[in-house]
Amino acid sequence: MDRYSFSLTTFAPNGKLLQIEHALAAVGNGSTSVGIKAANGVVVATEKKTGSSLIDVSSLEHMAMVCNSIGMVYSGMGPDFRVLVSSARKMAQRYIQTYKEDPPVRILVKELASIMQEFTQSGGVRPFGVSLLLAGVDDRGPNLYQVDPSGSYFPWKATAIGKNMINSKTFLEKRFNSDMELEDAVHTAILTLKEGIEGQMTEESIDIGVISTLPAAQSDGKAQPTFKRLSPAEIRDYLSNIA
Amino acid sequence: MALPAEASTGFKFDNVKRNQLLGDKGYKLPTATKTGTTIVGLIFKDGVVLGADTRATAGTIVADKNCEKIHYLAPNMYCCGAGTAADTEFTTSMISSQLALHSLNTGREARVVTAMTMLKQYLFRYQGHIGAALVLGGYDVTGPHLFTIYPHGSTDKLPFVTMGSGSLAAMSVFESRWREGLSREEGIELVKDAIEAGVFNDLGSGSNVDVCVLTKGNVEYLRGYSRPNERVFKEQSYKFAPGTTEFIDPAAAQGEDATAMDVSA
Amino acid sequence: MSIMQYNGSAVVAMVGKNCVAIAADKRLGQRALTVDMDFQKVFPVTDRTYVGLPGLATDVKTLSDRFRMRVNLYRHREERVIEPETFANMVSQIMYERRFGPYFVEPVVAGLDKKNKPFICGMDLLGCLNYANDFVVSGTASDNLFGMCESLWEPDLEPEELFETISQCLLNAVDRDAVSGWGAVVHIITPDGVITRDLKCRMD
Repeated sequence: MDRYSFSLTTFAPNGKLLQIEHALAAVGNGSTSVGIKAANGVVVATEKKTGSSLIDVSSLEHMAMVCNSIGMVYSGMGPDFRVLVSSARKMAQRYIQTYKEDPPVRILVKELASIMQEFTQSGGVRPFGVSLLLAGVDDRGPNLYQVDPSGSYFPWKATAIGKNMINSKTFLEKRFNSDMELEDAVHTAILTLKEGIEGQMTEESIDIGVISTLPAAQSDGKAQPTFKRLSPAEIRDYLSNIA
Repeated sequence: MALPAEASTGFKFDNVKRNQLLGDKGYKLPTATKTGTTIVGLIFKDGVVLGADTRATAGTIVADKNCEKIHYLAPNMYCCGAGTAADTEFTTSMISSQLALHSLNTGREARVVTAMTMLKQYLFRYQGHIGAALVLGGYDVTGPHLFTIYPHGSTDKLPFVTMGSGSLAAMSVFESRWREGLSREEGIELVKDAIEAGVFNDLGSGSNVDVCVLTKGNVEYLRGYSRPNERVFKEQSYKFAPGTTEFIDPAAAQGEDATAMDVSA
Repeated sequence: MSIMQYNGSAVVAMVGKNCVAIAADKRLGQRALTVDMDFQKVFPVTDRTYVGLPGLATDVKTLSDRFRMRVNLYRHREERVIEPETFANMVSQIMYERRFGPYFVEPVVAGLDKKNKPFICGMDLLGCLNYANDFVVSGTASDNLFGMCESLWEPDLEPEELFETISQCLLNAVDRDAVSGWGAVVHIITPDGVITRDLKCRMD
């Protein structure tokens, strides 16, 4: 075992922090998640991978609402994700308490990323074994961000993380166009996942979350864009349209 | 961090000593805005009706003629506040935040008893120094609930309640007319009459009546449900002729100064 | 005497047609002794949001600096200009943090939001917000200002009309308050910019 792969805070001579590379490998082992930014909203979707058919899939949650206007999904280690969800929700509430409005997506992403960065530099901890996709709507419109274990973050029009990321991204590059409406984006997201899924794709085996911008008529009132996880019935409708 | 370190949570006490010193020197410390207030709540056939007047006072001055005293707690819960206006505002908003986290983490709608317990524990911890007297109403999986919470942390669970300086006037209306199984319309009407009793008979309460109806899976917030004290607008206009007020443009004046200043000698 | 009257102050804000105005006196006193006649109590927050801070002068200074710091941090972090309502919420939060040892200031916020909609609000010293769509008043002359504004204010005043109305309200209010006055400043915030004027005042 080489001597640079243990300590988190030691650079390898080639300039890499190996533990972070390993964390990315953990993400690469995780089930695929995709995100697509449409003209009027964002969709994120993920595969619910189960080791065994005996697992009760309906109770698995791979997706979380952070605050009304932001939702997130992950690839990698589920337990690590839950820790980040909990701190993201607290950060969002703290922002709302101060300014009485939801945080812009970029602000929340920055803050989450800074926590993840801290875990690449602190003693006694390890980096998070997850990459995140955050979907949200704010003043600037729809937003899709990816955050990595290193604490880097990227704004995307469409992207994928996890096991099938390379194929999925190639697929998205071909399919994506920026005029796409949310409905089309949901279809594209499902198709992207379908490319890499092993076995049958059912409403039980995937999780989809959407958030749409408000129609102009509503944007003046108190109505707020809200992140929504699709129900199995709604997912079934989409799947039947595709097949 | 999206918020600077100085925006830490919790109270700060760095002015306390100074303020105490000023107080000891004989300077009267100012009073905060109070909501003299009439707030009420009742249970009817299908849910809860909350009501409040809209006057805020600072001493004997009416500080706000149309303030909101029915605060949002959760999608299925609202809370009327009486007492120190800032305390009711911030206590409810903080508990609302905790309830939002609670329901995100549990994946369910929060129960009214949960909110009540959080509020009473918070207020008890501050031993009455946070002057919030609350009427909490909501509808959850276990049905409609109505509570009063006092500034020291005690609570009551009753089918009809009133609070604030107008509570006696409002209670007289409830005591004479509340009965079990009121219809929605009767409930709203009774709440309106109770608040109006406060508005007209208690000096600390006034202006309009806000009503909030909470039923299974539905909330109707009727801001300004009754407006018995509409301001009659002035018949005459008191606009001033342009040029009435003598002024100087400070930017221009600065320029003048600069030229006027002679330092050559 | 109340600590709020130690230095003397008067601040008023008003809504007009697509504009808002905020005005304040300029006196700084130590009880009955006037120390300064050019003491600013109104501070620009952004190009189109102003905050007035009547009350104890030491806290006026402390808070104006603190607000400036927070607004600058907000601008750098969020890469946008703070909206008047957002700023008001921030101020309110800062005030309430010191619930048990307050600053002796009752802030007034006035500005135009990104849609050029007028926003004004007042606060008590604990940070309880008081939204208004007509006028808000604060300071030692607040009772007088209430009277003046209730009678002189009317809806939909154009910027120049608003200037006359707010100026007359302030001048006549401070003339009946011994500890405020001695000069006054008015800012009229319009979508095209801010007009600032120093008023000619009784100096007694």
